[in-house]
Amino acid sequence: MVKEASEMGSTNSSSKAWHVVYKIIKIWNVMIIEAVPDVHHNTKTLFLLQKKSDVYSVEDLWDKRSRKTDIGDEEEKYKDLKGNKKKKAEDLKKEVELDDHKLSASELEEKYGTSVNKGLSSARAAEILARDGPNSLTPPKATPEIVKFLKQMVGGFSILLWIGAVFSWISFGIQLAQGAESPFDNLYLGVVLALVVILTGIFAYYQEAKSTNIMASFSKMIPQQALVIRDAEKKELPADQLVVGDIVEIKGGDRIPADIRLIFTQGCKVDNSSLTGESEPQSRSCDFTHENPLETRNIAFYSTTCVEGTATGIVINTGDRTVIGRIASLTSGVGNEKTPIAIEIEHFVYLVAGVAISIGVLFFIISVSMRYKILDSIIFLIGIIVANVPEGLLATVTVSLSLTAKRMAKKNCLVKNLEAVETLGSTSIICSDKTGTLTQNRMTVAHLWFDNQIYSADTSEDQTTQPFDQSSPSWTALSKIVTLCNRAEFRPGQENLPIMKRVVVGDASETALLKFAEVILGDVMSIRARNRKVAEIPFNSTNKFQLSIHETDDPNDKRFLLVMKGAPERILERCSTIMINGKEEPLDSEKAEAFQTAYMELGGLGERVLGFCHLYLPEDEFPDTYPFDTDSMNFPTSNLCFVGLLSMIDPPRSTVPDAVSKCRSAGIKVIMVTGDHPITAKAIAKSVGIISATSETVEDIAKRLNIPVEQVNRREATAAVVNGMELKDMSLQQLDEILCNHSEIVFARTSPQQKLIIVEGCQRQGAVVAVTGDGVNDSPALKKADIGIAMGIAGSDAAKNAADMVLLDDNFASIVTGVEEGRLIFDNLKKTIAYTLTKNIAELCPFLIYIIASIPMPIGTITILFIDLGTDIIPSVALAYEKAESDIMNRRPRNKRKDRLVNEQLAVYSYLQIGIMQSVGAFITYFTVYAEQGFLPSTLLGVRVDWENNAINDFEDSYGQQWTKYQRMYLQWTGYTAFFVSITIQQVADLIIRKTRRNSIFQQGLFRNKVIWVGIFSQIGIALILTYGLGHVTALNFTPLRFQYWFVAVPFAILIWVYDEVRKLFIRRYPGSWWDKNMYY
Amino acid sequence: MGSKTWADLAREMKMFLWNPEERTCLGRTAKSWGLIFLFYFIFYTCLAGMFAFCLYVMLLTLSPYTPRYRDRVSPPGVMIRPYLNGFTIAFNVSQPGTWQPYVDSMHHFLAAYDDKVQEEKNIECISGRYFIQGGNESEEKKACQFKRSLLQNCSGIEDPTFGYSKGQPCILLKMNRIIGYRPGAGVPVSVDCKVQKGNESNLRSVDFYPGNGTFDLMYYPYYGKLTHVNYTSPLVAMHFTDVKKNYMVPIQCSLNGKGF
Repeated sequence: MVKEASEMGSTNSSSKAWHVVYKIIKIWNVMIIEAVPDVHHNTKTLFLLQKKSDVYSVEDLWDKRSRKTDIGDEEEKYKDLKGNKKKKAEDLKKEVELDDHKLSASELEEKYGTSVNKGLSSARAAEILARDGPNSLTPPKATPEIVKFLKQMVGGFSILLWIGAVFSWISFGIQLAQGAESPFDNLYLGVVLALVVILTGIFAYYQEAKSTNIMASFSKMIPQQALVIRDAEKKELPADQLVVGDIVEIKGGDRIPADIRLIFTQGCKVDNSSLTGESEPQSRSCDFTHENPLETRNIAFYSTTCVEGTATGIVINTGDRTVIGRIASLTSGVGNEKTPIAIEIEHFVYLVAGVAISIGVLFFIISVSMRYKILDSIIFLIGIIVANVPEGLLATVTVSLSLTAKRMAKKNCLVKNLEAVETLGSTSIICSDKTGTLTQNRMTVAHLWFDNQIYSADTSEDQTTQPFDQSSPSWTALSKIVTLCNRAEFRPGQENLPIMKRVVVGDASETALLKFAEVILGDVMSIRARNRKVAEIPFNSTNKFQLSIHETDDPNDKRFLLVMKGAPERILERCSTIMINGKEEPLDSEKAEAFQTAYMELGGLGERVLGFCHLYLPEDEFPDTYPFDTDSMNFPTSNLCFVGLLSMIDPPRSTVPDAVSKCRSAGIKVIMVTGDHPITAKAIAKSVGIISATSETVEDIAKRLNIPVEQVNRREATAAVVNGMELKDMSLQQLDEILCNHSEIVFARTSPQQKLIIVEGCQRQGAVVAVTGDGVNDSPALKKADIGIAMGIAGSDAAKNAADMVLLDDNFASIVTGVEEGRLIFDNLKKTIAYTLTKNIAELCPFLIYIIASIPMPIGTITILFIDLGTDIIPSVALAYEKAESDIMNRRPRNKRKDRLVNEQLAVYSYLQIGIMQSVGAFITYFTVYAEQGFLPSTLLGVRVDWENNAINDFEDSYGQQWTKYQRMYLQWTGYTAFFVSITIQQVADLIIRKTRRNSIFQQGLFRNKVIWVGIFSQIGIALILTYGLGHVTALNFTPLRFQYWFVAVPFAILIWVYDEVRKLFIRRYPGSWWDKNMYY
Repeated sequence: MGSKTWADLAREMKMFLWNPEERTCLGRTAKSWGLIFLFYFIFYTCLAGMFAFCLYVMLLTLSPYTPRYRDRVSPPGVMIRPYLNGFTIAFNVSQPGTWQPYVDSMHHFLAAYDDKVQEEKNIECISGRYFIQGGNESEEKKACQFKRSLLQNCSGIEDPTFGYSKGQPCILLKMNRIIGYRPGAGVPVSVDCKVQKGNESNLRSVDFYPGNGTFDLMYYPYYGKLTHVNYTSPLVAMHFTDVKKNYMVPIQCSLNGKGF
């Protein structure tokens, strides 16, 4: 089986013609959905639905464009696909064939060489463990580390720098062959360039690895334990040590540690939702009930949870051989979409590389036509490339993203993939789960009805009291029923925990009632002890009630108290009286009407309603010794006294409504996708604001206007509640229509597969979609989404693996804070890039002027690298700490196609305005240094050939003094240093102006971001160290500079600041003007 | 969605170059382009003006006679003549074509040192002390005569081939000019030569002219191109009378004096 699975995996990846993009298998209905874009660029989605037999219904849904293409061609592909898929489906069916559920316990014992009572021996277990490997899912095949590393080496600008390095070595080779005097300069330059690439590559790799490690450490945080019988003893073992044949015991709340054939159960129910999407807990027994191993009751599957009861079973499959393991290995083949920021950075790299190459080639041609030697021209080319490429920028971006990732981790968003940080910011649609994400994931009593009145209960997360009126004697009676007619119990040893946080053994409603009673009445367990239970009929689906009989805690009252709860209509049927203000009154039609109204009202709120009634058994008929028999029901179960209703709901998290309204103002559409009932879903959607108070669905309008649904103008309805059943029959166009026309959408009763269809629908609208999910079956949707968000608490490992981000607290509000951070980092990256690009011009101009005007070289290649990788790094990272200029959550999400990270305005403003100003300032310094040493600007023009001639040692300056080659070189290095210092000084101004794009610096606050000042001081500090500390190291080409030269560029730095303030002023003053359009980046 | 075909790309490109519907070229209308050009014209004009102004102000602060700093140019370097392309001098005595360029170079260089020219332009100075000329900085300074004949055997007067035809080449050594520089601190700087690497006997004897190969103090200090118009650098000629032939002899000549 293992072999088959791996073969299937390889067919997927190797099949070139049918590049399988994703695949989900819902084994429950043996349904395969597969989307296959074909090789001919026509987008085509193909859905194959197999219904238990081998009959395929093929529904072809491709968009209009592909209809134009050759049909015959298509037909052939179909056949191909069909054949292919049929085989795979069969493989799959074969795979899930298990026969363990058909065997008896003794046959199983024999098969696995184990004993139900004694378990395996430790030695035998160790043997099997060695054979089968640990019981854990193999993580999806990670890219080999070396490949990741090499990718960093050739990605981005690295290729350009490699070209530079190779050219350097080539020219070194040529010069060496020609016997030139100082060929080693080029060798060193090549080595330095290679080092730069390798070091930045290592850095990026390290950053990447670090963020992966955070994730890895997270998944290892809670090792699962399993209770195993080995060597005839019960032992707690880590779940990954389990082997086939182990006898394990599970109880309510546990996660099933492996695929298990049950041999003993007691009221066991499992939640298979992570496997099948079925949200109702399934009961489990030891009986073989179905041929299909997935349908039979006597197998519990790995990674599902046991909701209640206990069970003992034999492990029949471990690790990747479990059913979930097989699905997980198949879904891991889903391709990852490129993140928006990756696209943006690619765009930026292309842009800069394009500029670098075109300027490089242009000047190569110019220099060749100016009769420079080819070799010299190549060296110019290297210089131009180095000047143009912001070597440190990609590292800076990585650091900025990881800083934000860290900040987000503090806010409970754990980002697996660094780039996902920004993706979250550009999100325009969030498809959110309901349970656990929007809601607290626990039933809570929301309303009560007694004395003909509805009371609301507090449903917040940390309730300690209940505010409603508790003076009525009816409440006393109701509270007694709630307390006694309840089988749920707190796990012992949690006395110090707040009630709401305590773990309860029991189902969701009973838990809610228990906690509700505990909050109001105090110690429920002691109340139950005082009212000893003498008989009990647990809840079952046929009678739909639960009943118990108790002695009372009143020593004078010898009557037994019969308490009953259940479905309200069933309870009412059994009642003849109703309690009003503590008095029993006959249940007439008027009171029954009142009950109906209350019941409908609470039901309409999407709440689960329970009815409560009681009866004091007359003492004479039922003395102390009366033998209650629950099978023969020798006690009255009708003509009881109705006491009240309680309704429960999984209430929204208190932070969610605020978060939803934030999303709304941020232009993010929140779509609820849930497996729940439409009424509940709608109620929750309304209470959190996903459906706003004023908007109506088509059904609401129909109801209000009293017209049939078909007559309603669909455009009028802003909200829509779509049932999963409707969705199934919808064409893609219809789905698109719904997604387009309604701003508030709830999908109810959906399966995880439909989630994928919804995600794709949203992506067709051009939206950046964030999807939350927890089950294994959510993983394709998580992968397909632009950003998959897995739940940290409720999420399965498969979901976490597929996701880009993990919400540690499962809270929707955390997503919104994540969005905020993501938007901020996008803005700040813009600033960082603008800052970094600016000085490229100041580095490039010297080369161009050197080539054209033949002046002595103003700045060296190595010096440029010292700016790019030295002084500029910390300031550009510091911009990542910049606070938002305005409320970024009040703007629409950015348009993927229009709002680029690096847009024309940014490039033009940085390159052609600020960059040129910087160049001018730096050239002033350069000319000043030369002039004060005796070379007036006029003398410098056209001197390059003689200046660089090693054999001229009496080069004459403007004053008639004569300079040796070495003296000239030293002066040239002084020029480099001066140019370097000027750029640094002006970069300080550049850093300050980049703090804001629209607001004045004074609005933003010059000192609010302290890290900027760290950046400025580090920048100047590094420059000081380079000039004065390392000024005597010849190879670095720095010289100790006269102190006054540090200030030559200061007027230009001030000019840059003033100019940018003016720019921002005009932008603020004249929004939408020509200036705004061309100057705002 | 797949990538676009080349035809699509070409169409898009064409649309970008010239969009007839919106009448845009490269994504901008004529008006937009006009405004952009106008803006950048003004912007760059202002910037150029600022650049020019800054340079002008900076140049105003400089003296036309003396550069502000002379720390990078001193101590002075030396240079040799003949100078063709480098510092290697190799020729074949029997083939005049191999040494004629050297000789030409020497003659060309020494033309300014012709006795007549020197007598005409420059004055005779008192040997052995610096020729300090006070007065206003802008006043024209006088220069001392350095007659070619001082170089005796290497003057090219008696032997117009400077010894090259005999395999005894003359090489002239001059010290770089530095404004205000007084070499040797009162004691004339002298020159000596030795083999840089290899056998000392390869060089054997060198004759120095004038005198013992010293730069007389009277030629210093130099007052700069503007006022010291006729200044001619003093020379020391080195006559390599017996250098080993058919062999590469690396020779290092150095100046000896205080302050180097």
